[in-house]
Amino acid sequence: MPGSFVTLEQVRLRFRHHTARTRSLKESVLNLLLQRRYGGGISEILALDGIDLHLAEGDRLGVVGDNGAGKSSLLRVIARIYPPTSGRVASRGLLVPLLEIGAWFNMELSGVENILLTGAVMGFSRREMLSRVDAVLDFAELGAFRDTPVKYYSTGMTQRLAFTVATAVEPQILLLDEVFSVGDIRWIERARERMRALIDRSRILVLVSHQLHQIEQYCTRAVWLHAGRIVGAGAPGEIVEAYRKGLSPVSGAEPASVAAI
Amino acid sequence: MSYWVRLGELWAFREVVKNFVARDLKVRYRRSSLGFLWSLLNPMLQLAVLSTVFSVLLRIEGLALYILAGLVPWSFFATSIEGCSTSLVNAESVLRRQYFPKLVFPLSLVLQNLITLGLSLAALLLLLGWFIDFRPTWAMLAIIPACICVSAFALGLGAVLALVTVYFRDMRHLIGVCVSAWFYLTPVLYPLETRALRAERSAPHHVAADVAREPPGRMSPVPEQLRWYFKLNPMYSMVAMFQRPIYYEMWPTRAETCAAVATSGVVLAAGLFVFWRHEDTLIFAL
Repeated sequence: MPGSFVTLEQVRLRFRHHTARTRSLKESVLNLLLQRRYGGGISEILALDGIDLHLAEGDRLGVVGDNGAGKSSLLRVIARIYPPTSGRVASRGLLVPLLEIGAWFNMELSGVENILLTGAVMGFSRREMLSRVDAVLDFAELGAFRDTPVKYYSTGMTQRLAFTVATAVEPQILLLDEVFSVGDIRWIERARERMRALIDRSRILVLVSHQLHQIEQYCTRAVWLHAGRIVGAGAPGEIVEAYRKGLSPVSGAEPASVAAI
Repeated sequence: MSYWVRLGELWAFREVVKNFVARDLKVRYRRSSLGFLWSLLNPMLQLAVLSTVFSVLLRIEGLALYILAGLVPWSFFATSIEGCSTSLVNAESVLRRQYFPKLVFPLSLVLQNLITLGLSLAALLLLLGWFIDFRPTWAMLAIIPACICVSAFALGLGAVLALVTVYFRDMRHLIGVCVSAWFYLTPVLYPLETRALRAERSAPHHVAADVAREPPGRMSPVPEQLRWYFKLNPMYSMVAMFQRPIYYEMWPTRAETCAAVATSGVVLAAGLFVFWRHEDTLIFAL
């Protein structure tokens, strides 16, 4: 089994408000119509600006940075959800992105059916998921509701199930956004434990978090993202320390004012 | 990414497609006690209604079966493209969480409707055997390529509509209107041809069947000189591919077959081309 990896070369990601990039006549015609509708204003945001990154088997990368620095965009580019505007993104290995809280479950289907469906969508075979159904239901404390349509679940139950299914898999590359978590207080310690186990099982981890101690705890490498650029890279302790103080080892003063908040 | 790579990627996601199709079928029949039987019952009940209306009220014999032969593929087509058009917009929350080849969504919709079409056709053929003295003809085999053609056509068109709806959300309202206009322009409720058809019919059958299936062509509401234009409608040949074997008990004419195969091939290829050119960036417009 060849090793998994993630490579980003000179990746830039530009958002244009409501319209795609103009590349052809056909598209231009579309854009012309769109611009008229939206009043012609196109706002551009450079979410990622020249990112170079290589992750190999065993790497655990922490990403720190302020809100809007491009952390979530970075995860989405690695996950191929956003195609880069320029540059190259490549990866090998089963990739599981855990980016947003809440489930996209089908409300009419039962707990079990949703577990199987979610597993299939994440790239795991039906057989693999079938062997995990009971463990998932047990952990989520939903054994009694296995055949109940999810629409009759409470919000907490749905969240627990969503979290448990998503963390029941065996990813090779795990992309984790800190906002992906659960709210149920009584349950939170167990959830944390489970998350740790998932991180241990995955071969490559990219973790985005404002909880700097998490970065120090889980990661072996860290980068500091500011305004779409990597302004610092190194050992987690070092980068977290620099970020806390608002200093960047690469481009000193500029991010300081922002990070001071 | 080249188109072959995209095709390969779609194949890699076949499990997902299978699961989406199963989910939609399950949800459709959830909590109905007859479940899948409804797909079979639906055309039967429709035939009952149509026969009552036409033979009892309007006193036109034979038209009910003719209508049903066209209505079954038409409903497949209409529900497919209407479903396709909102498929990407509806998948927004999934698409923001994970990467998919976007064609998965219109494709599962068409496949799901194709299964329903198969069941409806089975019901229709059962009905034929039941109500009318009927023996299966070789021409019935034409239904298989007919299904492939109309599916390819629906997928090509549906994929483009799905894409366009992402950028122009008002499309979904427009599409409903256009589909119903299109329906009346397609010879489903009325026949396009006159008696000439009878001469073309294959092996002479027993008389009873002949009388029962008197071509309703004599009352075609379309003036002779306009019929040519009606035949330009791509759905004309698609629907004819079904009406010929089911109602007229004959193979589709060579012109109809060529038109159906060519249109569906071209529309599918063009649809995929347009879709694949834009699929990567449509996430920014969701």
